[in-house]
Amino acid sequence: MIKFKKEDIFIVTGASSGIGQGVALRLNELGATVIATGRSLEKLEETKSLCTFKDNIFLEQKELTENINDLPNWIKSLRDKYGKMRGLVCVAGRDFPNALQVLDEEKSKNLFDINYFAPVFLAKGFADRRINTGDNASITFVASTAAVQPEKGQTIYAASKAALLASSKSISKELASKGIRVNCVSPAYVETPMYYKNLETLGTNIDEYPLGIGKPSDLSALIAFLASDEARWITGQNYILDGGYL
Amino acid sequence: MERTEFLEKMQDVLQMDDELTFDTVLESLAEWDSLAMMATVAFLDANFGIKTTFDDFKSMKTVEDIAKKVGI
Repeated sequence: MIKFKKEDIFIVTGASSGIGQGVALRLNELGATVIATGRSLEKLEETKSLCTFKDNIFLEQKELTENINDLPNWIKSLRDKYGKMRGLVCVAGRDFPNALQVLDEEKSKNLFDINYFAPVFLAKGFADRRINTGDNASITFVASTAAVQPEKGQTIYAASKAALLASSKSISKELASKGIRVNCVSPAYVETPMYYKNLETLGTNIDEYPLGIGKPSDLSALIAFLASDEARWITGQNYILDGGYL
Repeated sequence: MERTEFLEKMQDVLQMDDELTFDTVLESLAEWDSLAMMATVAFLDANFGIKTTFDDFKSMKTVEDIAKKVGI
């Protein structure tokens, strides 16, 4: 059974809904202290209301793409406020299904900002020796099956997630000596607000998933494991969670 | 750049909690590895326009040696 201590502090981005909320709830349930971040404080309050240990969750409203270069300083300010951190879980991301013929440069770059640059610069901040606990600390990025098997309409989204996968491998090698493990979890469609948005636009292929659509809790179970001591020898990996689709 | 500021910035480059001094021997630091060297090369280039290579660090044993290299 995985257990964390109150002193095990994790930052979870995108914690106001979907997978991020699931991760925040799971880590909190297992005893960790969670710094839940998201764009809407109101939605983060919902996450808090669902928590098992409400004293062990702190809410931080943040628009991650506002100033990406400054994200390491923001992480530092969280360290000053809460103490050294054991883990970073980057869930915040967006999908923007679109046909190639109507791709827009600015929107495409914005998608890369939230799906790729923001998590990488958060990792940059977290990796500072003065920020993390250094002893089996971890970074977990949520990528997507689109990184390895894109569907139509995912030209930019798939590329942003593939970029994240590639970078996480490099980062894992760079940070191993600092006691930080870095892994990716790549889900197919999971029952989240993002899924319903896709359903309205390009449709989905859930019928092809042998085990049906995933739930946020399916992801949080693996992410909690990867953040735990049980996973001390695991780094630089990408775990596909897709109900048997690929 | 003043010497004190240089020291503070070097401490930041090396991501150290402990106070760095000009006498600190680079090889004695757990933080001094190839990535730290890479970060130092970038720091010296960005702040002083001085290009260094890994080979240059063979002759720079202390923080003072780096300071001398950039004329501080």
